[in-house]
Amino acid sequence: MYNTVFLTLLTFNVVYSSNLEYDGWATLTLQHALEDVANPVYTDRGNISILSLRTGSHNINQEPLSPSDITKIKELSASNKFYQLKSTVLAADGTVTIFYSSVKACMLAESELNDILSVSLDYVGRIIAVTLAVASTTTCEGAVVPSSNLKEFRTTVFVRYTDIGPSPDTASYIQKLEREREAKEKGELKDNRSFLAKYWMYILPVVIIMVLSSATNPDAAAGGGGNGGGR
Amino acid sequence: MDYFKSILLEFLIFLLFFNKTFALYEDQVDKFDWKQSYIGKIEFANLDSLKKIIVATEENVIASLNLKNGQIVWRQVLENPLEHRIKLLHVQKEAVSVSGDGHNWFVRGWDLSSGTLLREWTIHLDKNMTSYFTVSENKLLHIAAVPHSHIELSKYHLLSGQNSGKSIKINGPWIKDLTQCTISGLFFACLDENKVKYINLLQEQKMYAYDLSDVGKESESMSILPFKSTESSVILVKNDNAKVLRLNPDGSFYLLPYEVSPSVVSATNGEQNILLHISQMVENNGKYQITNLDTLTGEEIVFTIETNKEFWQPNILCAICKGTACRVLVQTLDNSLSVIQLPSGKIVWTREEALSQIVATEFVELPVSPLDASIEHEFDIGSGGVIDMFKKRITSQFNQLKLLMSGSQTTTNTTLWRDDFGLHKLIVLVTKVGKLFVLDTLTGNIVWSKYLPNTSPFDGLNNQIAALFVQRTARHHPLSPQCIVLMKSSISGNGIVYIFDPITGNVVNVKYLSSPIQQAMLMPQETENFLKPLIIFTTEGLVELVPESAIMDLYSYRHVLFMFNINKDRKSISGYSFRHSTEKEAKATLKWNVDFGPSEVVSYGIRPASEIVHSQGRVLGDRSVLYKYVNPNLIALSTLTDDPLHKNVHTFYLIDGVSGLVIYSACHKRTREPIHIIHSENWLVYTYFNERFRRTEVVALELYEGSFQSNSTHFSSHAISQLPHVESQAYILPAVASAATVTLTERGITSKHLLFALTNGAVTQVPWMIMEPRGAFGPSGPEEGFIPYVPELPLPPEANINYNQSLLRVRGISVSPARLESTCLVLVHGLDLFYTRVAPSKTFDLLKEDFDHGLIVMVLVGLTIASFVTKYLASQKAVRQMWK
Repeated sequence: MYNTVFLTLLTFNVVYSSNLEYDGWATLTLQHALEDVANPVYTDRGNISILSLRTGSHNINQEPLSPSDITKIKELSASNKFYQLKSTVLAADGTVTIFYSSVKACMLAESELNDILSVSLDYVGRIIAVTLAVASTTTCEGAVVPSSNLKEFRTTVFVRYTDIGPSPDTASYIQKLEREREAKEKGELKDNRSFLAKYWMYILPVVIIMVLSSATNPDAAAGGGGNGGGR
Repeated sequence: MDYFKSILLEFLIFLLFFNKTFALYEDQVDKFDWKQSYIGKIEFANLDSLKKIIVATEENVIASLNLKNGQIVWRQVLENPLEHRIKLLHVQKEAVSVSGDGHNWFVRGWDLSSGTLLREWTIHLDKNMTSYFTVSENKLLHIAAVPHSHIELSKYHLLSGQNSGKSIKINGPWIKDLTQCTISGLFFACLDENKVKYINLLQEQKMYAYDLSDVGKESESMSILPFKSTESSVILVKNDNAKVLRLNPDGSFYLLPYEVSPSVVSATNGEQNILLHISQMVENNGKYQITNLDTLTGEEIVFTIETNKEFWQPNILCAICKGTACRVLVQTLDNSLSVIQLPSGKIVWTREEALSQIVATEFVELPVSPLDASIEHEFDIGSGGVIDMFKKRITSQFNQLKLLMSGSQTTTNTTLWRDDFGLHKLIVLVTKVGKLFVLDTLTGNIVWSKYLPNTSPFDGLNNQIAALFVQRTARHHPLSPQCIVLMKSSISGNGIVYIFDPITGNVVNVKYLSSPIQQAMLMPQETENFLKPLIIFTTEGLVELVPESAIMDLYSYRHVLFMFNINKDRKSISGYSFRHSTEKEAKATLKWNVDFGPSEVVSYGIRPASEIVHSQGRVLGDRSVLYKYVNPNLIALSTLTDDPLHKNVHTFYLIDGVSGLVIYSACHKRTREPIHIIHSENWLVYTYFNERFRRTEVVALELYEGSFQSNSTHFSSHAISQLPHVESQAYILPAVASAATVTLTERGITSKHLLFALTNGAVTQVPWMIMEPRGAFGPSGPEEGFIPYVPELPLPPEANINYNQSLLRVRGISVSPARLESTCLVLVHGLDLFYTRVAPSKTFDLLKEDFDHGLIVMVLVGLTIASFVTKYLASQKAVRQMWK
């Protein structure tokens, strides 16, 4: 594994401009704070190396938690505090960026340390954000979780790309207009249906109106008939 | 059948737009709207005759004002003032203006009475040099100065632009500091080593010098200014005292022996040549006086300016005299322009030109009238017993009856009381010079104004902004409403907090912070006095609260308060939490950050805080519900990146303001500004200019949770079960938008309209319905009322909310809901101020104006009478039948 990393290092040492077109790599050093204070002390949690930013393939290397850390997470969780993560990103061009992120400790504990690390890239593949999240539909307000559930981080890394945004779709609209025009021409050429079939929607309302008006005016109709009989 | 379908579709589209024609009737013009035109701070002014003033302003506007009432006779708006400047305004038979960006100078001739462009020609320079212009006998002289070396003089024919001869180089090693140089008539003069050195531009090489030490003056801290007069003169200003130095064509000079104030102009009065200057009196409350000085005799006549208003450092622009009567055009520090009549010293008219540059707007509700307030308090459980309450009720009801009888309940323009429909509001405006205005929405009149000296706005992303917050609305009756303006001190750059009552203009408090402001936000929760505390985040990372006593409120809500800040370099954005605040100190802790690397944030959009989302989902064709993703913490951001391959790349991000999670991102290559973002409910619209196709494109995005709502009671940014499903669609906007926003109504039931201010002067409304991205219909096919995709957005002229009143250089549109659900109040500000109201779903909750009340009463009365008559007849008939 170290070999591969070394190899990628060699191959992509010269790349700086576009990480996606030439495929780049990045190393994330994760540190976490197990005390929710204003200026916390960050301790090592592990590291993640993204071997290919294009495919998103990565190696996660995280040690199991020590018993003291487990107790600290339990305390954070019980007092409804935040678990903070500091990710130091070393990109292929040698730039180092630090990202901070935090989640509710109780949500992390309730999910049994099943967390999501979202690595967002911009359009050339620079890492712009590393965010920790826990997949859950509900939030908790502090929770007590047994230590047996808090042994090891089961992290899922999502590398998320910036897609090309939509642009006005003129081509298909012109095609649609073209089709309509053709259909119209065709329709004009061989519309040899009968008169009634063509204009039934105009005739029908007229008929209905006539029927209705004669129905509402039965006296006049009847009177007319009587006259006829008298002659 | 396809043919008919298409006909049907076209018919539907036709019906749709037919419905959406919002044009006014001719007799409705000016009924709901008003427009005020401004010109900006005046740089050059010329009294053309006794009737007109020709002015050129910092806003690159050439205009003619009526001397009698100050109204604009004509106005011509030139290029963008950020790039171009007006350098010369010369008025003779026509007004000639020279304006440009340093490379290209446009010389334009304007007709004095109509303002039509008579001629235009250009001067093109290869290098960007400091240029001066002057006019001499139908010749335009262009002087380009190179410090420590020479000046280049070129002559052009003023009307035709014909270059007369080669440009001449005049040696000028004495030209050192161009800020200490000026041009007056045919003289180019510089202040250098206790001497005024000058040349006559027509005599070319000869340099004259006037030694200041001869008259016992030192050039230190002295400045030289041009002086407009019949003879070429300059003013030498030192410590607020000035002297006029007259330069004669033969090179000799004459220093007028009178000490005047720096704000001095000359006016000819028949044979007399007089100087008019303005100064502040030491006694008499520091009132200002104008001194009329006869240059020949030295005779002085002093006039006191009669005004009750505050007069901030007035400066005389020009004056015209006829006998003893003079009219003096005066501009003050707060950009208000007045004409003062002498000898009476009275102000004839005033124009508030500060309103041409508005940096913050807010609509404020009016308090209820005393009568309504008494109704509200009728049932207050007071200290008194039953008899007291009875007495209170009887008196208040008697008063109500009395008011009803006298008919004074109807709101007039002068009363600042709330009306039933909430159409009468006040608009608080903060201007760039630091003057506050409060305008009445019904009339557009200024209710009160206040100048805050030495304040300036903050630098926003692409314009200057001030922060204006409504801390308490007028709904809490005995307590007066309260607003806060945040500005920065133009001297130290530190924050200034100005707290005031928007209705009366009374100052509640002014606070001077000890460091610059980085970010400020209003807490959504109210204190016990119904005040929303303001959280100010300073550049030193400290948190200040207004009022300071609100610390306990902040402490109790510290877990649910978050703030975001686009950092000063515009390359990153950070989120802060207040969870580490204590009961004594507010503290912001960094919670998340997003680093855009080389990209620069150019625009952002958040949902209006007061917006209510009426329906939580959309019903699909198969009667299932697609739930909206309504995240109140969502931040929309646009960044621009300089890319060697694709020129500028515009990336649009959606970021959760609590967790910092990037929810969505999309990029557009080869694009550039202007970029506008509109953010409302569960959808967003952004515009950008596509350089490849050279057109403005509009992208509409809609966010949906799916067929299940993760949490129906409240939204939580912590619980992320799945990312929203984003639907998007792009359109072409066949115009360039200078500002964009969306209508806002009280309950959110009314459909939404987008408002785009276009560079052609129109403000047009586009129904959101025709932009909704409904790309994939799903299994049930297109929904009811589905509008087929047309790539170009239609902009019918009937959709212009400003009908034929062009609004130029629009900087922003602000909206506010009325109490009528159908109506939204709109203020468009820029060089013009335009207020109107729009009803996106038409006024469904309002009777038509021509509704016939008389007819309906007659019909009702008639029906009632008829029913009684028939009842009587029927009973009679029944009786008769029974007798049979």
